[in-house]
Amino acid sequence: MTTLVLSHDTPTMPTPAHPRSAWSLSERALACLLLAPAFVLLALVVIYPVGRLVYASLLDLRLSGGSDAHFVGLQNYADLLNDADVRHAALNTLGYVVITVPGALLVGLALALVANLAWRIKWPVRLALLLPWALPMSFSGLIFAWFFHTDFGVVNDLLCRFGVAPISFLLSPTWAFVAVCLASIWKASSFVALIVLAGLQTIPAELYQAARLDGAGRWAQFRHITLPLLAPSLAVAAIFRTLAALQTFDIPYAMTQGGPARATETIAMLIQTNAIDYLDVGYASALAVMLFGVSLLVSLLHLRRVYREANA
Amino acid sequence: MNTFSLALPARPFTRPYAGLLRWSALAAVLLNGLFPAAWILLTAFKNEAELAQSPITWLPAHPSLANFVHAFRDQPLLQFIGNSAGVAALSTALTLLVASGAAYALARLQVPRRGLVLAGMVAVAMFPPVALLTPLFEIMRTLGLLNTWLALILPYVVLSLPVCTLTLVSFFQSLPPELEHAAMVDGCTRLGALWHIVLPLSAPGVFTAGLLAFVNAWDEFLLSLALNSAPAHRTLPVGIQLYQGEFTFPWPVISAALVVAIVPLAVVIVLFQERVIGGLTAGATKG
Repeated sequence: MTTLVLSHDTPTMPTPAHPRSAWSLSERALACLLLAPAFVLLALVVIYPVGRLVYASLLDLRLSGGSDAHFVGLQNYADLLNDADVRHAALNTLGYVVITVPGALLVGLALALVANLAWRIKWPVRLALLLPWALPMSFSGLIFAWFFHTDFGVVNDLLCRFGVAPISFLLSPTWAFVAVCLASIWKASSFVALIVLAGLQTIPAELYQAARLDGAGRWAQFRHITLPLLAPSLAVAAIFRTLAALQTFDIPYAMTQGGPARATETIAMLIQTNAIDYLDVGYASALAVMLFGVSLLVSLLHLRRVYREANA
Repeated sequence: MNTFSLALPARPFTRPYAGLLRWSALAAVLLNGLFPAAWILLTAFKNEAELAQSPITWLPAHPSLANFVHAFRDQPLLQFIGNSAGVAALSTALTLLVASGAAYALARLQVPRRGLVLAGMVAVAMFPPVALLTPLFEIMRTLGLLNTWLALILPYVVLSLPVCTLTLVSFFQSLPPELEHAAMVDGCTRLGALWHIVLPLSAPGVFTAGLLAFVNAWDEFLLSLALNSAPAHRTLPVGIQLYQGEFTFPWPVISAALVVAIVPLAVVIVLFQERVIGGLTAGATKG
């Protein structure tokens, strides 16, 4: 390994011993050949389906009846703008984004700062960060549904010990929304913590030493060294969490099935119900196109930076 | 570090509190990360009668394995596990195969419009899978692939491909190209050099990428719910939903099934934590 490290700063572009002209063509062909499977899969699973999605959103396509699908133009989009359920689900989804993204960033940052302290035995802290991350989201939904159970849940048990009357968390629209948000923050904060932890470990210790010599206290160090240097990691985490929150499905599906009275239903859940339960593919596609468009806007913020860095 | 802190002005007032604060912070992190799983574990050993007690008990009064027996008998839990393991393993293998080829091209060969290809990779990494739900359902229905492993493997490979490719690109770039050139002077082809030199030397990166792909496939819910809904073809996260009836929630049995599903995950994490922590964010922070 030492020899590898020594030659680490050699340029990565190939500098073949052979004359370049004899290599460049076949290298280019090989590059295309190696990238081809990825592009074929991408075309099959992403590009064609997206085209199909946009097309289907213009049809009154139902998989249930034997009748043919007709071209209806923007009718599905007009319908969904007038659909009270859609408006409600859009507001819920927006609520999840606005509440769970900052929530998960704050909790994740705190978890990472504690995990980054010098612990002699590291694995318990790491397990505590990695287990929630690796758990399927639907599992955390089930676990939190059990936590928030009205009669036998541990949350109400703790509340009782502090003299608070038990709350029917999953039966009240407001509390159910809060419970789903808490479950989402719990699940998402571990992902944020892992990204922030990786960012923390790239901050050179010398910076803190220099700051301490200058008499900076803990808070000043955090404010003027840690936070600015973590900004890129936090930005990445924020973008990925926003995209995930826009697609919230698993946790409310497992916890409340969207209820009570649609209080926790999201756009992603509406897409699933319309497509799979009602087999109304046209309408579901129009919903998916709208959600896709919003995610795309968020992604573009991020992609602009990546593209600039890749070309720099 | 110790000698260094000796040179600093002592802060006598904060010392005792700092220790207390530190340990309570640790306790909070551990409680946050491990209590939910621990609570499910405790629930799994309680019987129905004990569960319906008010106030609730924390430790099981008469611990028994009955719930685990029920978990396997009431639903095809073994089949769920088999489906999850099969789908996750096959999609991981396919992802690694495709990603290492693409990553090698991006790291070492002259790829036209490299920046655009990389940005495209990141774009796919951020793609919302829910947008694929209806078209994939239609496609798989037409191809007769609903309720087969292949229906899930194809989308899972694509969803993990970008992160794995980006992770592998950074690993390949950290290797000196001289090693491959030496092998090629000795008569090895480019692909031979990739297989015999680059991949073995990047084993940690390949492992990390594989782990990410595996966890992605193991956890996926929405597509699995839509494409493989027949009970015998369900993966674990979707299958566990079957334990709940229309109005009944057999929490002890659900808990037992969850424990069966979570324990292998926890063991893998403890064994390979270093790798996961190190590699998890490579793709994301790079991107």
